[in-house]
Amino acid sequence: MVSGETYNERSKGKDVRTSNIVAAKALANAIRTSLGPRGMDKLMQLEDGSVLISNDGATILSKMNVLHPAAKMLVELSQAQDVQAGDGTTTVVVLAGALLDSASVLLRKGLHPSAVAQYFLQAAETACDSLKKVARLVVADNREQLLHAVETCLSSKVVSQNTDLLAPIAVDSVLSLLANNNRTVDLRDIRLVEQVGGTVDDTELIRGLVLTKGSAKSGGPKRMEQAKIALIQYCLSAPKTDMDNQVVVSDYAAMDRILREERKYLLEQCKQIKKTGCNVLLIQKSILRDAYNELSLHFLAKMGILVVTDIERSDVDFICRTLHCQPIAHPDQLDANKLGHAELVEDVYMEGGNNTVVQFTGIANAGSTVTVLLRGSNDLVLAEASRSLHDAQCVVRCLVQEPALMAGGGAAESQAAMALREHARTLSGQDAYCLTAFADALEVIPYTLAENAGQNAIQTVTELRAQQAKGVVGAGIHVKTAQVEDMFAQNVVQPLMVTTSAIRLATETVAMILKIDDLIVVR
Amino acid sequence: MEQAYITEGTSIDKGENARLSSFVGAIAIADLIKTTLGPRGLDKILQKVDPSDQSITITNDGATILKSVHVDNAAAKVLVDIAKVQDEQVGDGTTSVAVFAGELLRQAENLVNNRIHPQTICDGWRLARETARKTLEEAATNSSEDTEAFRKELMEIAQTTLSSKMLTFEKAHYAKLAVDAVLRLKGSNNLDHIQVLKKPGGSLRDSYLEEGFLLDGKSPGVGQPRRIEKAKILLANTSMDTDKIKIYGSRVKVDSMDKVAAIEKAEKDKMRRKVEKILGHGISCFINRQLIYNYPESLFAGAGVMAIEHADFDGIERLAAVLGGEVVSTFDRPDLVTLGECDIIEEVMIGDDKVLRFGGCKSGEACSIVLRGASSHLLDEAERSLHDALAILIATVKEPRTVYGGGCTEVMMAAAVDRAAQETPGKRALAMAAFATALRQLPTIVADNGGYDAAELVTELQAAHAAGKSSFGLDMEKGCIGDMKELGIRESFASKLNVVMSASEAAEMILRVDDIIKAAPRQRSEMGY
Repeated sequence: MVSGETYNERSKGKDVRTSNIVAAKALANAIRTSLGPRGMDKLMQLEDGSVLISNDGATILSKMNVLHPAAKMLVELSQAQDVQAGDGTTTVVVLAGALLDSASVLLRKGLHPSAVAQYFLQAAETACDSLKKVARLVVADNREQLLHAVETCLSSKVVSQNTDLLAPIAVDSVLSLLANNNRTVDLRDIRLVEQVGGTVDDTELIRGLVLTKGSAKSGGPKRMEQAKIALIQYCLSAPKTDMDNQVVVSDYAAMDRILREERKYLLEQCKQIKKTGCNVLLIQKSILRDAYNELSLHFLAKMGILVVTDIERSDVDFICRTLHCQPIAHPDQLDANKLGHAELVEDVYMEGGNNTVVQFTGIANAGSTVTVLLRGSNDLVLAEASRSLHDAQCVVRCLVQEPALMAGGGAAESQAAMALREHARTLSGQDAYCLTAFADALEVIPYTLAENAGQNAIQTVTELRAQQAKGVVGAGIHVKTAQVEDMFAQNVVQPLMVTTSAIRLATETVAMILKIDDLIVVR
Repeated sequence: MEQAYITEGTSIDKGENARLSSFVGAIAIADLIKTTLGPRGLDKILQKVDPSDQSITITNDGATILKSVHVDNAAAKVLVDIAKVQDEQVGDGTTSVAVFAGELLRQAENLVNNRIHPQTICDGWRLARETARKTLEEAATNSSEDTEAFRKELMEIAQTTLSSKMLTFEKAHYAKLAVDAVLRLKGSNNLDHIQVLKKPGGSLRDSYLEEGFLLDGKSPGVGQPRRIEKAKILLANTSMDTDKIKIYGSRVKVDSMDKVAAIEKAEKDKMRRKVEKILGHGISCFINRQLIYNYPESLFAGAGVMAIEHADFDGIERLAAVLGGEVVSTFDRPDLVTLGECDIIEEVMIGDDKVLRFGGCKSGEACSIVLRGASSHLLDEAERSLHDALAILIATVKEPRTVYGGGCTEVMMAAAVDRAAQETPGKRALAMAAFATALRQLPTIVADNGGYDAAELVTELQAAHAAGKSSFGLDMEKGCIGDMKELGIRESFASKLNVVMSASEAAEMILRVDDIIKAAPRQRSEMGY
């Protein structure tokens, strides 16, 4: 199913559908065990021999080399959930697997696949509507509620023991983007800087900028208060024309003179920079010629300018928006107005990682961007922490877009299942049957949660149903206490959008898989 | 005997053999795609086998399937071709045309086995075709005079087309998108003005119509305005690094660093002058097909002009059409250049991506449809389906006559052909009856695909038509026959006519073949179909 198998033969109708369902279910089963706070992680050895440990469904699936067409669709499904909600990437695949399972039972009873697909889509809408009715509205700036949602999200991750530290960082970083009544959150405005060394506990939110390359080691200052920052896009090296050029040296005196001229040329350029009052200089990387040379760095050091080199062009926009400076593309454009300002710019040595970064802090009216400096004892932890933090930020973003919370711990899914069963009782015919099957499939989430927590799954899920039926909307499985409790009271909450998007996307994909009756090999 | 005049490797099939091979090939192709027909039709996975490209496509679109399969049969290729032509001409009905041709040939096989000459069959078919055309023309209605009614008809056509696709569950939503987009064109019928942008994430019903044009993945340079109202836009295809002398090996020879610096400065000055010339057009936005480097970018930023680099070729051509400007590459005569105009340029977020929106364009026809969906397969299929719907709507705007769908017209044509056959003496009548049978196969297949009792339904339908209920067809929701007028199932006259005409012509062509001469194949490894 997962790799090594190739499909060359043309098969028909039922066989194709069965093969699709089996493959998709196998994939869903493979990552099922990573769901929930007691879910386990997966270790993946990649083709190049490197190792990756993750609990994130989208990450696991994207690294699996799946061949089967239906399995590929599930991989894409988890990625779509990642784009849409950022969290619930495992849930969505597990849900799709369960829906296919239910569907295959219906098909065996002789229902038409398109009919099943259609009723499932209707069921998904009913489920989402019913959830919308019971969800709790939040004020997007209510930090307390946002924190609870983020804590739930982080509880299933490798870094769950650092939740106390990471949850506020995730919430604050996203909230700080919301300044100026801006309701769209572009997570690219939050920069995650990963640095090996220390532990995850040393992670901090920096309202400023961190550049991963330390300042130039040319004897210049390493720390600058009241920094005036210039970002230049031209090169501080010997002049070079766009056309090929050739300097003809006819005798020794000429060589001497050329060296002097180069020196003079560079000195002049450095002086010009100094004249603007600049004391921190960022130099953009250049591929056409050297962006700087030893000589110019030496001059700048002598003038007491802190220099950071090798700024990527793609980062220029981010840096400029953070520091409120404008890039300078030509010496003629040097102007004090184009400089950015920061209270403090300094080299910070990353302990254990043997690396130095430059931190810019104390920027006047910061807000449009923010940086998180992530620390971890090794690359694996660091990478997973970064993914987890991204998920957590997505949770906040979801809540900003749709400020509604639903209880976690399988409460949302079992609530939806209950609503569907009730609705099904009012109908007669195939749709009632399909709705019940859909409801059963939804319960795979609480079931898996309980199973992964080592509980008696049937006992727990039935108790959950009983509680829900009594009208406890937030009843869910509290994995830590192994009890069915009101999750709203326990502050285990998740954005409504994560659940509804998972249900909608999973159903759409399942409908697509069901409607396939043939596999044709083409060029 | 043939060896006397043909090259080695060439094969010739004659008479019976040739005809058999044609029938088998064409019928096999028709059978391959007939399960996709109708609202309950199913989809196919197309799996590529190229070791470097194992991607999959999931589709319901006959033309897409036929284009992709590897066909090694002359008659099958003809079917593939007519499906392609149907796709280009009307955009929809690609499956129907191939399936109908296949069914005609299936009937012809019987007739030929009963010792009827292929030419006689062709004669009969021609008579039948004329009768069918006349019936169809009589059945067609035209309500393009009444805007409201026409819009309703367009909605019905779009929904009918979409009902057989993956989008069937959201057909009302997408039909509205397609109709809105096409009506915006105001008869200019240029599909280029409708841009379809696919963005994974979100649900199918999150797709929406955006007035104006969206440029994907581009953002203004650093320090430039992010939002412009009443924009004047210059579209260009010019290099913004330096205008180099295009002589091989041209180089500068100097004897001092100062002179190199001076030349560098001269080069920069030249660029600055070029930017000034561009600014001389009085623009507020500059869009270039090539890269804009740091220096010109900062000059534009200084002048408060939005500069967008590296717009892809399709994008810029379409922008030119939409904004009503032209793409230029020299800037000496600002008075001769037509600038593009729009009311607003701004950045908008779709899912995780930022796109640049050009709203209120000079030609108010332009619009973008943003498709959202769970996976790229879903989006690709949604795009194909939407394209079909757009194409059929445009065809309907051109030829506003419409007919009822759901097998209604097929049964009506079949009945007319049957009547004509009874009045026709000679063997041709047999061929005409066969034509009618083939026509009735289309609703039969649709009902079959829905898992209903096809024979029962189609005979009921025939009876209904005989009783004068001429707007009755198949109701695939309930699995019974119903009034297509009430159900709002409508198809384009042009598409339907094209299906009947080109399928029967193709079938005729295949039928007339008695020799298949296969040229010696080029040496390469191939897998037969």
